[in-house]
Amino acid sequence: IPDSGHKYYLQFTTEDYKSGENAGSCLATVLYPKTMSPPVVNIKCVPTKDQKQIQEEDDKLYRKIRHQTKPITGNNIPDSYGNIEPALEPVWALAVAGSSYIMWEKSTESLGYFMAQVKSVKQWIRKDAFLEFDYTVLLHEIPTQEIISCHMRLTWLPGHPLKVKYFCASENHGLEDGSGMESGSASGILHERGANF
Amino acid sequence: QLDFWLAPRGPGHPVDVRVPFPSLQPLKAHLEANGVSYSIMIEDVQALVDHERMEMLRGRRQLPLSTNTFDYATYHSLDEIYAFMDLLVAENPNLVSKIEIGRSTENRPLYVLKFSKGGTNRPAVWIDTGIHSREWVTQASGVWFAKKIVLDHENDRDLASLLDRMDIFLEIVTNPDGFVFTQTQNRMWRKTRSRHSGSACIGVDPNRNWDAGFGGPGASGNPCSETYHGPYANSEPEVKAIVDFVKNHGNIKAFVSIHSYSQLLLYPYGYTSTPVPDQQELHQISKEAVTALSSLYGTNYKYGSIITTIYQASGGTIDWTYNQGIKYSFTFELRDTGRYGFLLPAKQIVPTAQETWLALKVIMLHALDHLH
Repeated sequence: IPDSGHKYYLQFTTEDYKSGENAGSCLATVLYPKTMSPPVVNIKCVPTKDQKQIQEEDDKLYRKIRHQTKPITGNNIPDSYGNIEPALEPVWALAVAGSSYIMWEKSTESLGYFMAQVKSVKQWIRKDAFLEFDYTVLLHEIPTQEIISCHMRLTWLPGHPLKVKYFCASENHGLEDGSGMESGSASGILHERGANF
Repeated sequence: QLDFWLAPRGPGHPVDVRVPFPSLQPLKAHLEANGVSYSIMIEDVQALVDHERMEMLRGRRQLPLSTNTFDYATYHSLDEIYAFMDLLVAENPNLVSKIEIGRSTENRPLYVLKFSKGGTNRPAVWIDTGIHSREWVTQASGVWFAKKIVLDHENDRDLASLLDRMDIFLEIVTNPDGFVFTQTQNRMWRKTRSRHSGSACIGVDPNRNWDAGFGGPGASGNPCSETYHGPYANSEPEVKAIVDFVKNHGNIKAFVSIHSYSQLLLYPYGYTSTPVPDQQELHQISKEAVTALSSLYGTNYKYGSIITTIYQASGGTIDWTYNQGIKYSFTFELRDTGRYGFLLPAKQIVPTAQETWLALKVIMLHALDHLH
């Protein structure tokens, strides 16, 4: 759109991350302003499951995690061979949801992401009913092919929006031999504004 | 529920019986009540069985005895893959030979398997897997392709007629240094392991190091970047080895370089938006190949030129091979589309290899049909 930016019209279907089943379809418009400010998004989705089903599944996920007697910790999920321990699947699922917020914020008209791996997860037990996790997730960045390490703090209770705070390392490379190639600029800012998501 | 390992023969003869746990107490009580003496020979049978299984698996990993006992549905180490190659050659000396085309930066041999029914310098198909080391499903698929060619070279009519006139070259571990690094230090390593002066960072992206639009947009000049093109074209021995091989051979008709992930079939160019002269033909072949691929498990692939389908990338393999006159130059991006990404579960190796093989056959047979 001359003097304004680029506008994209999208029609797409979604699938359940766990089962691969069709989860609904969406219509969206995305306007990337010429000024490089964040894109303007309009989106409307029609899910295949109704609100009640979604709530039941959320409750089920929540109970699975609460059911564990010790605080959950884990590393390398999936492992190098693509395996995910059944006991850690719910925690991986939450990481996917939380990372999607990070990826949504970080992506641009020319930069996209996938969640490559949960490098580590540690559960913080709270006095209230909320679940809280500390994650290190690896994001695969396209087209640069870089692997970006992000620290993510996630809290959740069914019926409430997922809350995400994160900090991604600005540059992963140059740390090989211990001689810093780090740009060292504004890397100290924790994105407090996180998500109600 | 009692499992007699030494069945009752009569009074005075001992009996050996395996007792399921719930029956243990009742049986003991019964024997004692009837004055029958007993002793325990094995406390926990399951533990023994488990241990034996573990030993067997460990034994198998150390010494695959033949390519028939080799486990194609699991990821293997470099040593295991190199041992597999030697086994395959030993089992099929009239069809398969192993060629060393060079050495990696860390001095590992770069091996190519040649599948040939004879002749001299026949027109050939080249397939490489594992050029980016973290893309593990590709090396694993390469191993499967090697076995598949051997299994089918006589009974599959298409493959048999292909091998009557053409040779197949297969480089399974195109980047062995990177591969070892993914197994020992960093599962996400992509590049080679070369050091170039002036930088603390290691490695060059072998798919940006070819002499086609080298150094242009679509690669990075920063040695610390994952898409670093290197100090000059063919600086990487892994790339130079293939360049030399292709030039010396002079008769390669189809060239396929395999990556993961994204589920795409791509043809040149990546470095420029100018379409290749053979765009229409390559597009048509891609369509057929993708149709064949999906026919097996319904896996969805997109196809097109690199620059229009994925992104601009300069110094790429198939841009160079196409410009050398190898018309049928293709790149695959195998499963999946991001859910597991590079960490594709091993149980998807064989299905991925099977469906990809169907697409490869379409490409190879088209090349066969269009030999001048």
